[in-house]
Amino acid sequence: MIYLDNGATSFHKPPEVLRAVQEALRTCANPGRGSHRPAMAAAERIYDCREAASRLFGCLPEQVVLTTSGTHGLNMAIRTLVRPGDPVVISGFEHNAVTRPLHALGAQVTVAGRKLFSPEDTLEQMEDALRKRPKALICTHVSNVFGYILPVEQIGWLCRHYGVPWILDAAQSAGSLPLAQADFVAMPGHKGLLGPQGTGLLLCTRPPEPLLYGGTGSASLPPTMPEDLPDRGEAGTLNVPGYAGLTEGLRYLHRTGIHGMARRQQQEVRRAAAGLERLGFTVFSGPCQLGTLSFLPHGDCEEAATKLARKGIALRAGLHCAPLAHESAGTLDTGTLRISYGHDACPSQTQALLTAARVLL
Amino acid sequence: MDMIFITFRSITLAQRGERTLRTGGVDCALMRTPKWMENKGCGYCLRLRAGNESRAVSLLARDRVPYNKIYTQNADGSLEERSP
Repeated sequence: MIYLDNGATSFHKPPEVLRAVQEALRTCANPGRGSHRPAMAAAERIYDCREAASRLFGCLPEQVVLTTSGTHGLNMAIRTLVRPGDPVVISGFEHNAVTRPLHALGAQVTVAGRKLFSPEDTLEQMEDALRKRPKALICTHVSNVFGYILPVEQIGWLCRHYGVPWILDAAQSAGSLPLAQADFVAMPGHKGLLGPQGTGLLLCTRPPEPLLYGGTGSASLPPTMPEDLPDRGEAGTLNVPGYAGLTEGLRYLHRTGIHGMARRQQQEVRRAAAGLERLGFTVFSGPCQLGTLSFLPHGDCEEAATKLARKGIALRAGLHCAPLAHESAGTLDTGTLRISYGHDACPSQTQALLTAARVLL
Repeated sequence: MDMIFITFRSITLAQRGERTLRTGGVDCALMRTPKWMENKGCGYCLRLRAGNESRAVSLLARDRVPYNKIYTQNADGSLEERSP
């Protein structure tokens, strides 16, 4: 099988990730809940994860709040900055993990920057929206549908200039691109960071509002959650095996370096785009694109994905939980077929895809 | 032997403190905070030999690891709180 669905989750994890999960299940109890050896071993594994993340992302270990997913982190960050009815700015390429929490809160949402692969449009529209001093700007780093890399360094500069707090959704970029310094950066652990499902990170410059209330193993007497990072965002028993695996994913990235990762993915995206265009498909490609590529088959996307799956190609069809991105690109009615490369991106994957794609002609 | 206890607001800070001290050559042990030292309930602290206190405090300050309080356990078992 050629796995090209890394935008959903990475599938071929480094072997040390699998070993760490198994080892944690065998040796670890509840972290921060005791002084016996299995509890302290669990606490060590958890701290290792924070430390590995802090090294990769340039923050302090206590600024790393462990979450169950990127969505979990985004919900927590949004609940921290946005109140019902608040004006908020988002990009035209947001995932439902951003739009649904905002809808649930009844936020007044301004969508800024809907032109695909146009950082100029993104910045111009966002600056216009920021002049009205919204309560927050929330945007993805990389579109999960089209791979468009938003100009986050400049967006961060604009947010600081206008004094608007910023939440960055790094679901598709963490592990492949250097991240910008936002007030909150949310990411899953199981995609580019190569950890197991059920893990995520929220990098915080301030304590978040908790989504869950409960035991933290610290300051147990007061009825309120602790004020400090990271405990304020981490009620309940942590997924120790999951974070032990994530630690190894983070260390793998630290060893191998993320710059080469992005370059390899981008090379394959360009190769795939050219090949699919030669086959006559409509392809969404452009500058500022990471390892994700959407294209339109001649018929139904879901049926096309099923045909490709039978040929051993794993990719994803549909709206990819991001109807706003499709609305921006004009593909809401059709959805797209999406290829998303991972840490193992290589020419043979692209060649296999292009050979198999002839079944769609 | 006199011992020093440095308490922290979370296990994460205690762990960062532990690494800071060890890297700086100060031997210490991470442990649950004795209940009488912690007025908010559960917590973690670092235990180290008396005499290392000033070095430990300066290392924690250098790495900006916030701590709560410092206690001394004297050789006769008596305990006293020190100014942080």
